[in-house]
Amino acid sequence: MTDLLTRYNYDSFMPEKFEPWMNFASSPKTGTIAPDFPLWNLDQVPTRLSEIWSQHDYTIVEFGSFT
Amino acid sequence: MNAIADQYAGQNIGSIFLYTHEAHPGENYPYLTSMEQKFRHAHDLRDVLGVTRPILVDALDGACHRAYGSMPNMTWIFARSGLIVYKSDWTDAHSVENAIQYFAQIPQRRKAGERLAPFHVERLDYRNQERDQFYKALERNGPKAVEEFRKAFPMG
Repeated sequence: MTDLLTRYNYDSFMPEKFEPWMNFASSPKTGTIAPDFPLWNLDQVPTRLSEIWSQHDYTIVEFGSFT
Repeated sequence: MNAIADQYAGQNIGSIFLYTHEAHPGENYPYLTSMEQKFRHAHDLRDVLGVTRPILVDALDGACHRAYGSMPNMTWIFARSGLIVYKSDWTDAHSVENAIQYFAQIPQRRKAGERLAPFHVERLDYRNQERDQFYKALERNGPKAVEEFRKAFPMG
């Protein structure tokens, strides 16, 4: 688990560190039901991705970070 | 993307930002080692960068991000049922708006009695690379982020 945390939260933008994570081609397909995961809002209150997408006809989810 | 969220909120379109990991860690925003730090960075996304959409934070191991392909700035659109209707390996506001304009009228078409059946489309969209803006963002992360990007992409 520690190894996963360290590899996922890589310390430097180097191809050997970021390229292994870029797996869009094998991500879930359109027309399938999205995998659900726990998430937290900025007040650290837990929620789930499914709770988010079930609130509207359609939900746009942008993935990213400060950097 | 904030503007799209505001523009389509009245048409029952939700919009969130999902905080993942630091793609270009630098001296000012280093790689993540704790959820507390991840929440601090996510707050800065709102307070410094001005993201007005609800921000949700993934687990420290990026369980959600990894399941969706781990691209640094991708966008997905889900129907209320959880059906994946759009996925893009990069976020481009024009592409997203084009898609959401299409999807926003699906409920009305169904209410009007149209019998709609899904089908798959593949399309190659184009984005503006906005290199100056990108490098300014890297500088905000710290000199390390700029140096590492230049080293990884010398022609970038």
